[in-house]
Amino acid sequence: MDTKTTISRMLHSYFFVIGLICLIFIIISCYILPYWIPWEPLENSLLDKSLPPEFFRNGLSGHILGTDTLGRDVLIRLLIGGQYSFRLAFISVVLQAILGTVLGMLSGYFGGQVDSIIMRACDAIMAMPSLVLAIAIMAIFGPSTQNLIFVLTVSGWVQLCKIIRNNVRVVKQQEFVLASGILGASGFHIMFKQIFPNVTTNIIIITSQRMGFVILMEASLSFLNLGIPVPAPSWGNMIAAGRQYLVTQPWLIMAPGIALMLAVLAFNFLGDGIRDVLDTKRKV
Amino acid sequence: MLAYSIRRFWQSLLVLIIVTMCAFLLVRLAPGNPARLILPDEATEEQVRLMEIKLGLDKPLPVQYWNYIMDLLRGDLGTSIVYKQPASRIIFARVPNTVLLALSTIFVGCMLAIPLGVIAGTHRGSPVDLFSMLFALLGQSMSTMWLGVLLIWVFAVRLRMLPAMGTGGWEYLVLPVLSMAYPMSATTTRIARSGMVDTLSEDYVVALYAKGVSRMEMYSKYALRNAMIPVSTMLGLNLGIFLAGSVVTETIFGWAGMGQLMNQSVLTRDYPMVQSLLLISAIMFTVINLIVDIINSFIDPRLSIN
Amino acid sequence: MSMAAATDATERSEQSEWETLLREEALLRVIGLRVEYRTERAVSKALNGVDLVIHKGESLGLVGETGAGKTTTALSILNLLAQDIAFLKEGYIEFDGKDVYKMSISELRAMRGGKISMIFQNPLTALNPVFTVGEQIALVLRIHKGMRNNEAMKRAGELLEMVGIPAYRIKEYPFQFSGGMRQRVGIAAGLACNPQLLIADEPTTALDVTIQAQILELMRELQKEYAASLLMITHNLGIISELCQRVAVMYAGRIIEYGLAEDVFASPKHPYTVGLLGALPALEGPWQPLAAIPGVIADAQNLPDGCAFHPRCDNCKPECRTEQPLMAHLGNRHFVACFQNGED
Repeated sequence: MDTKTTISRMLHSYFFVIGLICLIFIIISCYILPYWIPWEPLENSLLDKSLPPEFFRNGLSGHILGTDTLGRDVLIRLLIGGQYSFRLAFISVVLQAILGTVLGMLSGYFGGQVDSIIMRACDAIMAMPSLVLAIAIMAIFGPSTQNLIFVLTVSGWVQLCKIIRNNVRVVKQQEFVLASGILGASGFHIMFKQIFPNVTTNIIIITSQRMGFVILMEASLSFLNLGIPVPAPSWGNMIAAGRQYLVTQPWLIMAPGIALMLAVLAFNFLGDGIRDVLDTKRKV
Repeated sequence: MLAYSIRRFWQSLLVLIIVTMCAFLLVRLAPGNPARLILPDEATEEQVRLMEIKLGLDKPLPVQYWNYIMDLLRGDLGTSIVYKQPASRIIFARVPNTVLLALSTIFVGCMLAIPLGVIAGTHRGSPVDLFSMLFALLGQSMSTMWLGVLLIWVFAVRLRMLPAMGTGGWEYLVLPVLSMAYPMSATTTRIARSGMVDTLSEDYVVALYAKGVSRMEMYSKYALRNAMIPVSTMLGLNLGIFLAGSVVTETIFGWAGMGQLMNQSVLTRDYPMVQSLLLISAIMFTVINLIVDIINSFIDPRLSIN
Repeated sequence: MSMAAATDATERSEQSEWETLLREEALLRVIGLRVEYRTERAVSKALNGVDLVIHKGESLGLVGETGAGKTTTALSILNLLAQDIAFLKEGYIEFDGKDVYKMSISELRAMRGGKISMIFQNPLTALNPVFTVGEQIALVLRIHKGMRNNEAMKRAGELLEMVGIPAYRIKEYPFQFSGGMRQRVGIAAGLACNPQLLIADEPTTALDVTIQAQILELMRELQKEYAASLLMITHNLGIISELCQRVAVMYAGRIIEYGLAEDVFASPKHPYTVGLLGALPALEGPWQPLAAIPGVIADAQNLPDGCAFHPRCDNCKPECRTEQPLMAHLGNRHFVACFQNGED
């Protein structure tokens, strides 16, 4: 598929366009808006505690989404929490993609012992519900950013690994690969020059659909206080904190909840859009 | 199919052995001395050493693992540090609540997802299809956590219709079930829809119409069975996850199941409990998947070869 | 001037002989059928005025290259074109005196599988993988003969025996059968209700050569036994000469030659038919190089004006580029749509 068709398909996919626009909007807000907001995420002020949202009545210098029980501005916490979430999810998804691709290709290409070891490892990880596994690991090793990235990654690579492995096994049997083997190409050459280009589409599709999932999982862990350590803001721990004041200050859960929903929705749209665009089976 | 079931059984057993290794290593690799965690803070070095010997921590790792497995086979999951009781007794007391929540969720989720997905798949481009698409996209983005808190706010805080928290009769079950069933049914709707769409584009569908099969029969029988195979796999996965205990939902709604126990054990650093819960989750999950795979091999006998 | 008028008159009279043939009492009558496929980007004209008749007990071979519109013709007879992309623009199909596109749903269902049954090209995909073969034969009997389940299954076993498969295998699934066996199952299901017309859409294309012969032999016997009419769709001329009395040659969604199989094979008149026959190796006589038809089959998304075959024709005349030739009668009900009328 040439660049022109790809771009034309991108522009014709509602999912892709809507997802991309929402995402650009959300990411730009998270990274740029904080410069215009006169508050700090950890700055508490008992004079200003539990203020309801005043929206734009005082422009950007007011507490647009209100303050929490410690008088911290909700909007700035939301934006900074978003930055943490995106950064963690992005790192984790990239690691998942690398791990899944490398192990899947090794497994599919070499077969035999290598294959059965990697596949049994996949089975074992799949046998433990990912959130429960993540909770157990976080509980035992303690909350920290490295550990969080580790648990978000540990169960995420399996799906990609299995798909890539099956993909490689099919491609390996095709004539052009067999032919280059007969012509004396090295295993390394065959793997990276012949097989890899045939699995990249799947890597992109699967990986792009994981962002939303990882963000949700990070939020769940943070909700249980096993994610980003407090007092640093994250959408999950903001919902957890707001839950206590549901009766009097519902805005404390609304803001992070809606932000989480929109961000995940945008990533899911984009993921579906990418699948539509790259799916070679799709009829013209 | 019997041969397939037996082969799948051995595979699952192998997986569970690997899982026990993971669970075992997880606790052994944890920072800090397990003996110290059990003893009060003011314990002397001598007491710690005696405790280590009592727990078998002085032996080499493979011997410790062997003892761990032998204990497991006797049904001994270790002793809870907090409750000072066998972990198995505390966990199994929680199982009925978790099972009730899991089965209700799957039931409600299916009631929503399967009819919606099938109608959307058979009436592509119709308003039902559009609705199902929005329903699914929203549901996939709604985390159980946020939906749960939102439901409490609407139904317990504002409308005062249902209790916000606790374990008990059906009125306590409604909100946790809804908060789990919606995200689950979102995925299931999509799978049912695409299963139906894929099936209806198969050659054998035209061949069946050419034999005089009506649309109703096609949708309710001849294409439905094919479309339901991915759905039942999906439902099996979800049931496994729910039976393992929904930590977030049970915590939010104070539902006294295995998930809530997990969260409590984590907060109180009750490692033997965390380890046992992880293991029990994995066993539940594996057994359910084994059953689903065997059921699927009866629906679609092709699955039992290869 | 008068020359042109005279040609016009003869053409009209020749066309009217074709129309006389079409108006005869017949089991199946397809008149002027035009079907288009519309997808996101393109409109492809699959059928461009197909006329066909099949008389009671007659077997007609429909020949043409891939993409000529053979399968579309077959599916339109059963009113089974994919509704979202295929559009019937013009023409009508009459089966047993009734317009197929004006039938009620129950009449359509009674026709499909009961009066007309169809055998599909790829036996590997034409059976539902999650139902037993017995169930897939029995369902036809339940729908059309109102049989109860046990009775239908018993009859399904008998039908399997008839096509050479032991009856105990009714409880097995399609994946447990080879391609040839599955096609036998398809034939058994097709004949379950003694249909008046059997449409076979390339029933042997997906099979090995030895299996092809067995399936054709089976079809020949069964057609004789059941006295059903047969519409045999194929690109294999050998099959036609074995199985069919009449043959219709199709090119770019039109019938371009029609006649008794022996007439058409002995003296093909359309340059396309000539080419098709020339593309077969002769087993007797002096060695001759195989003649391939130059060029590629007409693109249904972008049909040439006039005779669709003209870009590939050696004897292309000026009128071939602008006008559609009509069916001209050459005697003994041998028709050809070519301005040369068979004269070289």
